[in-house]
Amino acid sequence: MIVFEHVGKRYGGRFEALAHLNFHIRRGEMVFLTGHSGAGKSSLLRLIMRLERPSRGRVLVAGHDIDRLHSSQLPFYRRQIGVVFQDHQLLFDRSIFHNVALPLEIRGLSPRDTARRVRAALDKVGLLHREKALPIELSGGEQQRVGIARAVVNKPALLLADEPTGNLDPQLSADIMRLFEDFHHIGTTVMIASHDLALIARMHHRILRLSDGRLVGDEGGV
Amino acid sequence: MSRHPGQRQSPQRAAQKEQPKTAQVPRRKGAQQHTTKPQGQWRAWLRHHRAMCLDSARRLVHQPVGSVLTMLAIAIALVLPSALWLTLDSAKLVDAELDASATLTAYLDHSVSDAEAGRIQEALSAQPEVSSTHLITADKGMEEFQQALGLDDVLDRLDGNPLPAAVVIAPKQPDPDEMEALAERLRDMSGIEEVRLDLAWIERLRQLSELGRRVTLALAVLFGLGVLLVVGNTIRLAVENRRKEIEVVTLIGATHAFVRRPFLYSGVWYGLGGGLLAWGLLTLGSGWLAAPVAALAKSYGAHYTLPSLGVWGSITLLVCSTLLGWLGAWIAVSRHLAGIRPR
Repeated sequence: MIVFEHVGKRYGGRFEALAHLNFHIRRGEMVFLTGHSGAGKSSLLRLIMRLERPSRGRVLVAGHDIDRLHSSQLPFYRRQIGVVFQDHQLLFDRSIFHNVALPLEIRGLSPRDTARRVRAALDKVGLLHREKALPIELSGGEQQRVGIARAVVNKPALLLADEPTGNLDPQLSADIMRLFEDFHHIGTTVMIASHDLALIARMHHRILRLSDGRLVGDEGGV
Repeated sequence: MSRHPGQRQSPQRAAQKEQPKTAQVPRRKGAQQHTTKPQGQWRAWLRHHRAMCLDSARRLVHQPVGSVLTMLAIAIALVLPSALWLTLDSAKLVDAELDASATLTAYLDHSVSDAEAGRIQEALSAQPEVSSTHLITADKGMEEFQQALGLDDVLDRLDGNPLPAAVVIAPKQPDPDEMEALAERLRDMSGIEEVRLDLAWIERLRQLSELGRRVTLALAVLFGLGVLLVVGNTIRLAVENRRKEIEVVTLIGATHAFVRRPFLYSGVWYGLGGGLLAWGLLTLGSGWLAAPVAALAKSYGAHYTLPSLGVWGSITLLVCSTLLGWLGAWIAVSRHLAGIRPR
């Protein structure tokens, strides 16, 4: 599903955020990406979303070199990736329902299908009863679950998460991770950047370790 | 970005049912693989347009003072060139009359009788340069003079008719040089005392109206730019206010067109609102000026009404203002979107 071939990323010509990355993530796999802050986890995810382009090497997603996507194709590429952010990036001027519906509105789904799929996604994260609430009325953990609902409402083949449990207590973090596992079980490729080592060690999935932009560990793969 | 999905439902949605669960391969060409059938796409496009059209209007209504101020600024910028254009339009009518009035007048000797005058008229008509002639006998001239001036009493007190008979000659070519040459020749004919042609003031008026036309055009361009700036600045602030929203929707796959759409509709609404206000101001202004203008014209014995926009003028004004609003928004959004990249 995702292949990195000799990928390097420099910022401003000198700072080397990522170097010599080689790895392969199979379709349907669940992978944790870990490392200290500044190790390059976010940069790596941004490369996959094509928010950045690699300075060297190739990033292949579903067999295609995404560096060669034309800028007019990017929106359609990004619609196939569900992304969960640490700060969940919800829009505070609209209800939970409309936050989750956003990807479907962008795709132009009919209101009926939109409503059905939004409710299914909210049900999955256990927030169906809060669909009319505004994000500000929800707790941090609930907001993060809304973010996850928005990421999966489009039924993406690939789910990326950048520190999804960053601000949550251990219990809530475990709940969120179990949610990601559920999506993994229905065949979604899941990649989660996290520095919560204790939590991810308990979950027995493949772990990629980054340090100073280099891959220093790849364990637990099947 | 619409807040009203779930309101409208159409019966034929079969095309858009389930999306495949498995990965769709991002092909290098034909990027629409993830969307629905063409008919559904078309309907989705229309739906989004309608939603954004209403959403933009709602946002304007929610900030009535700011919206009206912006529209008023647009209206004021539109009123001046429109008023000038109207004035010029009525001047054009005068101009057309002037063209027709490019004539020579041959005044006959007082001694010439009406019968002789008729013969002279025939002789003049026979000239190759002459297109048509029109005889005004001394009596008829007096009659017209009286009608024009309304000075019956004074003229009645005169002994006899001091006016000569005259032949008005319309040349085939209203060219100043040729007319001058023709006048020179006619002066030598017997029975003709004097030939008058007053080209200088016609020419002067023409230059004046050309000057007015160019000034109006220049002002229209300048004020049109003013409208673009007003709308552009307003939209720039709107884009800045919704920066976060733009970043998020770009992250989850919104196209530029999708992001741009609500702002373009805002521009259209501002332009249309400004145009309507300008129309109102013009109507109000001409109503306010109508009475004194009519009174002034009447004191000169003339009948003159202020020009009005009319149906086509009104439509032109509204279409222009709407287009200017749209263009201003387009420029502002395009310039600004380039600077917004998701973090």
